[in-house]
Amino acid sequence: MLDRNIILVIPVAKMSEEGNQIEEFEQIDFLKDRHVRFFQRSLQVLPERYSSLETTRLTIVFFALSGLDVLDALHVIDKDNMIEWIYSLQVLPTEDESNMQRCGFRGSSHIGLPYSSKGPGMAHPYDSGHIAMTYTGLASLLLLGDDLSRVNKRACLTGLKALQLEDGSFYAVPEGSENDMRFIYCAACICYMLDDWSGMDIHKAIEYIRRSMSYDNGIGQGAGLESHGGSTFCAVASLRLMGRLEETLSERELDRIRRWCIMRQQTGFHGRPNKPVDTCYSFWVGATLELLDVFQYTNYEKNRNYILSTQDRLVGGFAKWPDSHPDPLHAYFGLCGLSLLGEPELMKVHPALNVTQRAFQHLQQLQQAWRDNVSSCT
Amino acid sequence: PRPPLLCRKLSGLYFIEDRKEWSDLEPVPQDDGPNPVVKIAYSEKFTDVFDYFRALLKNDEKSERAFTLTAEAIELNAANYTVWHYRRVLLQALEKDLRQEMRYITAIIEEQPKNYQVWHHRRMVVEWLSDPSEELEFIADILSQDAKNYHAWQHRQWVIQEYKLWDSELEFVERLLEEDVRNNSAWNQRHFVISHTTGYSDPAILDREVQYCLCQIRKAPHNESVWNYLKGILQDRGLSSHPGLLERVLELKETQCSPYLLAFLVDSYEDALETNNTRATLNQAQEVCALLAQVKDTIRREYWLFLGRSLESKYGPTAAPQSDAASSDAADQQELS
Repeated sequence: MLDRNIILVIPVAKMSEEGNQIEEFEQIDFLKDRHVRFFQRSLQVLPERYSSLETTRLTIVFFALSGLDVLDALHVIDKDNMIEWIYSLQVLPTEDESNMQRCGFRGSSHIGLPYSSKGPGMAHPYDSGHIAMTYTGLASLLLLGDDLSRVNKRACLTGLKALQLEDGSFYAVPEGSENDMRFIYCAACICYMLDDWSGMDIHKAIEYIRRSMSYDNGIGQGAGLESHGGSTFCAVASLRLMGRLEETLSERELDRIRRWCIMRQQTGFHGRPNKPVDTCYSFWVGATLELLDVFQYTNYEKNRNYILSTQDRLVGGFAKWPDSHPDPLHAYFGLCGLSLLGEPELMKVHPALNVTQRAFQHLQQLQQAWRDNVSSCT
Repeated sequence: PRPPLLCRKLSGLYFIEDRKEWSDLEPVPQDDGPNPVVKIAYSEKFTDVFDYFRALLKNDEKSERAFTLTAEAIELNAANYTVWHYRRVLLQALEKDLRQEMRYITAIIEEQPKNYQVWHHRRMVVEWLSDPSEELEFIADILSQDAKNYHAWQHRQWVIQEYKLWDSELEFVERLLEEDVRNNSAWNQRHFVISHTTGYSDPAILDREVQYCLCQIRKAPHNESVWNYLKGILQDRGLSSHPGLLERVLELKETQCSPYLLAFLVDSYEDALETNNTRATLNQAQEVCALLAQVKDTIRREYWLFLGRSLESKYGPTAAPQSDAASSDAADQQELS
């Protein structure tokens, strides 16, 4: 069994300030090509032990595609085929539009409808979109360079609005599910990408976010719940996407959140006080710190060393902990964590929208074109 | 190519396809089109169960065989929320025994306590029964296996709040804190219980909590959770407002120091500066920031240096004069509230 702890170190001659040569050992073992292949394999066939991911396959696609984007390696996949498959997951309105409140994107074909990447929608008693799939579907299309012209925006937004509860949070599906901060983030991303906030009541969502602030200044999944790196990211990133961060939180509150987040660094980051570190929090907490302008005050070396210690040198990808099995989620967020640190071979990631800056710029261009179309019609 | 029917029966594989009572139903395969992405390679048994599940779903069949099949589908993939939803539809349509369903979901959660769907299902059944009587004990058992399981705590808070089961919760929290004083979830629960029952306004309660914290700090000084709790219950009244606390903390600094204690000190000094800006207090704050940056919390060196600079610019000689209520702008208004 290969010892995954063998880290390639190469003595590197460094010039000190006095001009003498000092030999230092530098860890330069970021295995870019392995990760490209890891994501390529994820996009193909997964063994049965991944069966629990069936209904969320589109999120796995997003991790792999966005991961390849961060690696600047999207050229290795067939974008057009990928775009077609994603569109086949769109829940479109039926002829009589009776299912508008169930529209969005599915996570996979698990319901059993015949493959179709063009409308109209097919009536089925249990076919509906899932908020996280609508979010990752749209984000995936975007980073593939698609113009979203085949997205039925009105249907998506109607479906989204139907998911919001009185307390401001969201269900994942119209049939009902748990509700928490994760789905507020999904909703914010959807509205942001479609440039249309009619899909949600912003005021109610903001109230839910405020109520989820904990006594310890982190943010939980809901009121009273333990503050957590994931929900803190979802809350802060959502406010940023809504353009309401500074008006919702006072400078004192922002300072307190900054402090809570920065205390999460142990080597890498953990998600809650007194819990073990986990690679993905290098993004969840790192990105939050970046959104709050204080990521620059974290310890880059310890963070980088931790993330790389969870790298799987054999199969590629990253795991939550060293000597553990890699998976697409940790592979993606490990890369994003490195990107925040300025890792040379990686593209920059937009810390609120969680796509590359390149994909973000594509979105901005699209939205400009949409606005131009609207004004040229009026 | 599948082995012939006889071989399959001999080897113990008895697919649904072979069962006579299903012969009226045409199985529905998954269709990912010409270029499937992230395709999962299912075994024949898995495919079999779900092809028939999809057939039932399409017809919205409400039958005992459908109900039985949902259990088989759940066993193969308990994360499939459509199967759980369909099972709930059937539970109601067939008027199934919900007590039995409670036993079923109890067993499933014990096997898979980090799955979202199983907890949501349990919540639905408890609501239908309007019976939370088993919940606290059940959740306690799950927590005995993983004392920080977020799903478990979330369900626990829902049950307690929905059915007003506050009475023994503080006792439960204290038991958990005795087992592990660093259990951040338990500290969070402590705040949840007290804030929803007695509240912290009563000075006797507040002081009891402060003393409890100081006691736990003496036992285990390196514990972010207790310091977060202590700060949390005091910060909106002003950290420097609790009589004698600063002195206690300065004593603890000698023998039970920690980065959390020192951070508490900085925040106490800053709180004092807000109402009484003196160079002496600012120097004390700067000293602690320097100690944190250079010795006690070096991983956050840059942050403590940044904080020191912020304090200097806010309260130091070059700071802008503090605006009073009449002339302040909106941002300062928020700052004062």
